[in-house]
Amino acid sequence: MLCQHCGEREATTHITSIVNGVMTEQDLCTACAKEQEYTNFFQNMSFDLGDLFGGILGAPKRERQTVRCPECGASFEEIVQSGRIGCANCYRVFHDRLIPQIRRIYGTSKHTGKRPGTSALRIPEPAQPLKVISPLEEKRAAMQKAIETQDFERAAVLRDEIRALEEAEKHG
Amino acid sequence: MDNERRWYEKAGEAGDVVVSTRVRLARNLRDIPFPSRMNAAQRAESERRVRDALFQSNSPIAGDFDFLQIDAMSEQQAGSLVEKHLISPQFAAHGKGRGVLISKDESISIMVNEEDHVRIQVLREGLALCETAETADRIDTLLNESLHFAFDEELGYLTQCPTNLGTGMRASVMLHLPALAERGALSRIVSNLSKLGLVTRGTYGEGTGITGAMVQLSNQITLGLSETEAVENLRNIAKQLVDAERESRAALLGQIRVQDRIARALGVLQTARLLSGEEFMRLSSEVRFGVTAGMLSGIDLADLNALTASVQPATLSAKAGKALSAEERDVLRAETVRKALRGVA
Ligand SMILES: [Zn+2]
Ligand SMILES: [Zn+2]
Repeated sequence: MLCQHCGEREATTHITSIVNGVMTEQDLCTACAKEQEYTNFFQNMSFDLGDLFGGILGAPKRERQTVRCPECGASFEEIVQSGRIGCANCYRVFHDRLIPQIRRIYGTSKHTGKRPGTSALRIPEPAQPLKVISPLEEKRAAMQKAIETQDFERAAVLRDEIRALEEAEKHG
Repeated sequence: MDNERRWYEKAGEAGDVVVSTRVRLARNLRDIPFPSRMNAAQRAESERRVRDALFQSNSPIAGDFDFLQIDAMSEQQAGSLVEKHLISPQFAAHGKGRGVLISKDESISIMVNEEDHVRIQVLREGLALCETAETADRIDTLLNESLHFAFDEELGYLTQCPTNLGTGMRASVMLHLPALAERGALSRIVSNLSKLGLVTRGTYGEGTGITGAMVQLSNQITLGLSETEAVENLRNIAKQLVDAERESRAALLGQIRVQDRIARALGVLQTARLLSGEEFMRLSSEVRFGVTAGMLSGIDLADLNALTASVQPATLSAKAGKALSAEERDVLRAETVRKALRGVA
């Protein structure tokens, strides 16, 4: 089966997608499938043709009016034609022209996912930081408690156990 | 070299239906134009920054990665990385001056200057969406510590193609659905899934039907849904498909016609002297069906996954250490398959 878009290369991908409630089913070659993703977004996007033909028709005034992103130099027309945004700053420069299309595609323009510096999936952290307590430390704390509660019998047992542990540690 | 099996040589959760899981995150640097508007100096700069962000981090993960320059690879080696889904075909084809960070176990790749400055990809065997997404998330957090990715309060992560805006996350599962395909249910399911905001991709062969009944299912919406929501949606749908496929398999396997087809497929794979990639995919789909249904024994799913990975065209050539002709490949493929399936009955 040949690619439904270019009609030249073998179709390798069957893509079914819903954009804005309209389902499209296509058999495409890999290259066209990739390109489709870009052009889909700017489909049916109208922009002032005067901007595009301004230069040809010899209207230098219009040419000068073309807004370009100060960071990367892209004009909105270049973005629509290539399907590619020029840089992060373009989203700010062409914000008002991009937002309607973004809303049309997603039904919203509000990101609700991960923010930098946070965790996307909120992997639960252990409630208390894990402390590594040695048996020796554990027994020392228990002995302290036994002394405080005047349970001297228990404290004496613990003291002997602590001594034994200390001896064992010394002799490796 | 370690003898650890790679993800593509293993079978994971729900491995009878779900072959693998993949999560990809698209990220960009704030102050460098997106890849299609970069000059050579900017390309080198973004590559240097991404490498430094990983290798100069204090994370123990850093030691796990190698930086591979596409220029320094043979066409076969680069092609093999494509077949293992570690880099995209576009990335391999326009590899000049491009590099990729790949973890030693080949489950994580970070492509630099592909469609976006940074593409983090994590792959796992079987159905493992949460685990895979968590790993991608952690890599993103680590890189962001020094890179400061382009982010907008309203639009989320900013990407070269607006269809990736927001989370920049594409999660997908590769499903093997021979029984649903056999019952003709696949196209109906596929169009229903689209209504839920999911995209399916099947690899076409000779023209009719999806070769090997392999269907990739992925989330389409990246803005307005959180990563967790997208992953949960996808996981729920995948689980439903797993159940539907299992039910259909049980119903189909009683049919002598289906048993006959599986047995014949095995027979051809065990005896063929020439085997094209497409024929292998079609026949191994039947054998896989037979193995999961308990009709065939002598090989498990992990071995089948490993076999499939090893007989892809560029991987075959890379192993042979030279460019093979189509016929040479078909001979080598047939040989490899005969050997792997010798004890299967
Ligand atoms: Zn095409
Ligand atoms: Zn710009």
